[in-house]
This record gives sequence, C-alpha cells and structure tokens, in this order.
Amino acid sequence: MIITILILLAFSLLSLVFVYMAITERDLLKATAFSAGQSICYAVILQAMGAADIVMTYVAVSVGLYSALLIFVISKTERFEEVSSR
Amino acid sequence: MKRVIILISILAVTLLSSLVISFVAEITVPRSLRDLSKYYIANTIIDTASPESVAAIVWDYRGLDTVYETLVLYLAIVGGLAIFTIKGGFPRGEPMGLTELSRNATKIIVLLIATVSAAIAFHGHLTPGGGFPGGSALAVATMLIIPVYSVNILLEKGITSTKLVAIRGFALTGLGLVALLPVVKGLEIVTNQKFYPGFLNGVVISGSISLYNLLEFLAVASGFTAVALYLSIPEELYKGEVRD
Repeated sequence: MIITILILLAFSLLSLVFVYMAITERDLLKATAFSAGQSICYAVILQAMGAADIVMTYVAVSVGLYSALLIFVISKTERFEEVSSR
Repeated sequence: MKRVIILISILAVTLLSSLVISFVAEITVPRSLRDLSKYYIANTIIDTASPESVAAIVWDYRGLDTVYETLVLYLAIVGGLAIFTIKGGFPRGEPMGLTELSRNATKIIVLLIATVSAAIAFHGHLTPGGGFPGGSALAVATMLIIPVYSVNILLEKGITSTKLVAIRGFALTGLGLVALLPVVKGLEIVTNQKFYPGFLNGVVISGSISLYNLLEFLAVASGFTAVALYLSIPEELYKGEVRD
C-alpha cells in the first residue's frame, strides 16, 4: 500500500514538472515531448491504481496519437512560438 | 533560473496543500467494494460470457452508449477529413525518407506495435484492452511510417485514403448490424447472450463483444490512419489551392 502511495506521489509531482515545462517551453516540439512525458506519468499513476483498461487506451491515445498529431500540426506551422511583448 | 524557482515553489505549494488536506479532511482509502461492483464481479461471466468486466460493461451492459460513442467518433473523423480534402485527388511523389538506421529501427517498432495492437484488440474480451485501444495503437504505427518512410510508400503499397475510408465504412456498418440483428428476433437492440453464442468450439468468444472489438479495431485504425494521411499533405498545397 505504502509503495502505491509513494508511486502516486512521485509520478504526480513529476507530471506537474512536465506540465510546467510544456507550458513554458517556446520550442513546440520540445513542448510536445514534455506533454508525452506527462502522459506517461499519468499512465503509471493509473496502472498503480489498478485501472489497466484505462492505461491501454490512455497510452495509445495520449502518448501515441496525440503527440503524433501535434507533431504533424507543428510541421504545418513554425517550430518556435513567438512571444509578443506587451 | 526564474523558471526553476517558479517550478520549485509550485511543487512546494502542491505538496504542502496535499499534506494539509489529507491531515485536516482525514481522507481515507475505501476498503470495501460497493454493491454494484460486487454484482459485476460475480455475474459478468454468467451474463456476458466474458471474464473481463470492463469490456462487458462497455459492449454489453452499457452497449448502446458505446455504439453512440462510436457514431460520435465517426462524425468527428468525417469532419476532419472534410476539412483536409484537397482538389484533384491525393498528391503523389517520389518516396523519400530518413536514414537507413531509422528505417530499420522503425521496421522493428512497427512490427511490435502491430502485434501488440492485434493482441489488445482480439483479446479485448478476455484481458484489459479492446477495439479502441488496439485500433489507436495500430494508427500510431502508420503515423510512425509516414515521417520515417514518407507518405508515398504507403500510397505505393495501396494504403490510400479512399480504401481506408471504405474499410471504415464497412466496419461501422458491420458494427451497426451486429447491434441491430437481435431486433429481428424481437430482442432488444445490442443484445448479447440471448442472440450470439458465448463459445465457439470451446473457445470463449463472449458473443458479440469480440465482434464489436474486431469491427471497432478496423474502424478506429483506418479512421485515424486516413486522418494522418491527409495531415501529411504539405501546407503549401492548401495555400496554393486557396490562392487559386
């Protein structure tokens, strides 16, 4: 039980790190990779909670399809985000 | 440096607040199952001939919800394809791609993904998984082939968007028929055990659940692959079309 809680704690904090990095990153490809990292953390959390069915769909959609689609979309625009100074 | 400081403070606030909440609100982990879960665990195998409660709930107990959900996905992909449609058919060119190293690595990975996706889909009525995760996993394999081998290699092998849309249409029609067929015998729509056999030559097929999984697998894989094919059309072509 304590190991499960520790896994939940470690990976939820790690996912927070990935989310922060993805939001603040200007290189959109790197941001997509961070977003995939966050998805992997969530997949580990779901597996630790015993939701194997959700993990299957989550990994395929969130790590695979979502990241691939984002990379396709980035290839249609520019790689770096332009930050306008206000 | 500013990023690191902000990140550390966010982590500290999250940890502190979670500690405070768990001590103040005394959150405890539930130790017993609810009656509904007990029912599903005890009766799924009897009601649906499937040992996998989640697949049974998705395609049998709550089958109609999933059929409608599949319809929503169908319409979403129709919308996606309609946006990306290009005049004068799919543009073809010479197959180009990345280096030999990445090509060979991709071959192995694609083979692994295809095997795993088939296992996820065709074992969906016995173990965690099902048609949707299996189909999405297979679509990831084609999305990997497109940047590494270029889209033209898929077109050369005969994997065209027209064929994919046709496979998708066939699979979804089949799914609708599997759901509707019990009505002919005066049963409810999406009936499983009263109409479809649970076993075939001693092999567990869980009635309609394995059929739904197979058809959903085909529909999802071909739908997402078609979207990936259209997404791989260079933006310049669309811009040229808008200019014309």
